[in-house]
Amino acid sequence: MHPDSPAKPADFAEYWAEVDTELAGLPIAAEEELLELRSTEYCTTYKVHYTGLDGYRLMAYLSIPKGEGPFPVFLNISNYTSVLQILPQGDAVEKRRRYITFTPGGRGQRNVDKPYRAEFPGFFLDGIDDPSTYIFRAHIADLLRGVDYLLTRPEVDTDRIAAVTKFDLSVFIAALRPAVTHLVAKPVFFYDTVNNASNKTDYPLEEINDYLRSFPEKEAGVRNTLSYFDIRHFAPMIKIPTLLWGNVKMNAPLIDALGGVVETRDTENSFYKDGVFQEKWIARQHGFDGPILPENW
Amino acid sequence: MPLYEIEDACFWLLRTPPEMDLENADMSIERLKQFKPSTTRPDDFEDFWQLTLQDLRALDLNATVQHLALRSTEDVDAYLVHFDSLHGVRVSGLYCVPKHAKHPLPTLVIVPGYLSDPDFQKGWARQGYATLVVRPRGKSGSQDQFDPGYPGLLTHNIVDKYSYGYRGFYSDAVRAVDFLKTRDEVDTQNIFVDGSSQGGALAFVVAAFCLEVKAVSAGVPYLAAHIDNLKFAKTYPYQEIGDYLARYPEREPAVRETLNYFDIINFGPLITCPIIVNIGLQDNTCPPETGYAAYESIASAEKQVYLYDGYGHDGGRLDGHLPIVQEFFKKHWVKPGDQHAS
Repeated sequence: MHPDSPAKPADFAEYWAEVDTELAGLPIAAEEELLELRSTEYCTTYKVHYTGLDGYRLMAYLSIPKGEGPFPVFLNISNYTSVLQILPQGDAVEKRRRYITFTPGGRGQRNVDKPYRAEFPGFFLDGIDDPSTYIFRAHIADLLRGVDYLLTRPEVDTDRIAAVTKFDLSVFIAALRPAVTHLVAKPVFFYDTVNNASNKTDYPLEEINDYLRSFPEKEAGVRNTLSYFDIRHFAPMIKIPTLLWGNVKMNAPLIDALGGVVETRDTENSFYKDGVFQEKWIARQHGFDGPILPENW
Repeated sequence: MPLYEIEDACFWLLRTPPEMDLENADMSIERLKQFKPSTTRPDDFEDFWQLTLQDLRALDLNATVQHLALRSTEDVDAYLVHFDSLHGVRVSGLYCVPKHAKHPLPTLVIVPGYLSDPDFQKGWARQGYATLVVRPRGKSGSQDQFDPGYPGLLTHNIVDKYSYGYRGFYSDAVRAVDFLKTRDEVDTQNIFVDGSSQGGALAFVVAAFCLEVKAVSAGVPYLAAHIDNLKFAKTYPYQEIGDYLARYPEREPAVRETLNYFDIINFGPLITCPIIVNIGLQDNTCPPETGYAAYESIASAEKQVYLYDGYGHDGGRLDGHLPIVQEFFKKHWVKPGDQHAS
């Protein structure tokens, strides 16, 4: 790693414990709203509303297979995007015959954007000067709240909850909610962020470069904030089977820090090849003979 | 690497690896050619769009261009652009202009995918292009007056062609070219368009209605033979239509009628500029059969399709296709003083 890679703050555990303390002080207060348009003969779909940090009203998509449960869970953690999807684009809708699918929203995203609407680009930097104001503190708390709601559902098979993303937010969820049993993640943002951004010119990491170019005097503060969010500091808390995407050499410190069985995979630059591999991995982890793939796969 | 590129009615093998299975390659092409879309072209298709474009151009652009110091670098200026579009909806775009290149500049319009949140494309600016990333109505940054959401846009007022969400959405993409034509830094002989997925569809639309566009790259095109896609893969976002028709099966004739006005297969005959299309043969979001049908509909005398076996909705873009796009645009630059070069 880079010599400037962020050390774990001394109060890292307290910082995140405080998030849970604040959440515990608020009722989940869930309301399920049936979505007939998105329900089928094999699953029932809902918009679920519940309360998060500071009393912010959140939203998630929930789909439950019909029939007798419990059912394994496909916990769909969004990428860096305004859009919440019932299922990731391109996933076979038939997956909802087998899995509970749950997509929790974080404040700023669509349907969770009143009063706060995220800007793209811009969301990544909101409040970044201070760990207490950084938007991802609340955003991650919102995702944790979603998992807390999910765990109240009697249909959930608590031995099979896979947190899946093409991004790194699932790492936070797996670390801070031990109920998650399997993890799929790709280090993109919250992995030695400032140093990695300095080698990139594309968004969204370019947001960091934009900010530090304009406000170089703020770099120490930005690095300090991001030290509370570096996924290497969460990795030792994760002791579950993990599929980690990305370059093995670059991810080595992360792989070493993860506590469970880790399978690493670099992309083949093909959504098809990567997608089939990932679906097979999840199905195998959940004890199924094979995945549910789109018909033309 | 592409399996092969097909130009017009001929094809040849591009970079044949020793292990390539030629029999399977031929079968893929045959499979694609066998598909016949259910799309029909309404008799008043061109009249409908003529009237839409007339309504669009009757409005003042009312454009504003705001320099963004935060997003600018030592070599690229970044701007937030707004302009008025169909029915007075105000939409935005993210505009990058290279600082040290000679004006007027070749110019690139980048049109967005269905779910993506557009961002600044400084990389293209560094290659010398003034680059406008359009944010049509409902996209992040353009959602104050129109916001059907996702899922939502694909079926918004889908029983009525006049209020269907894509009437304004397509108009916004065309409007971007109208805006660029007002800019002193833009070389109006060298306007290019690039987009994938929904962006591939929008590239078709802009090529059809903006005859000044020099060349177009349309990747893994969406919005072709909409309902037929569900035969090949039941996945979102096309499943939004599947959900709608499952709930309201009696509306299928009205839905089909509306979609015929927005199906890019019906825009293809209006495209006369050079165009390339890339397709992943295992595309689970925009199945290759419908993308290929869209390609076949193109009237242009200079069109090529690149088929990528073993690739999905990425369409090969992550594994070698992007340089092909870059070279394609460069090849079609009109040099100053040479108005007839291609």
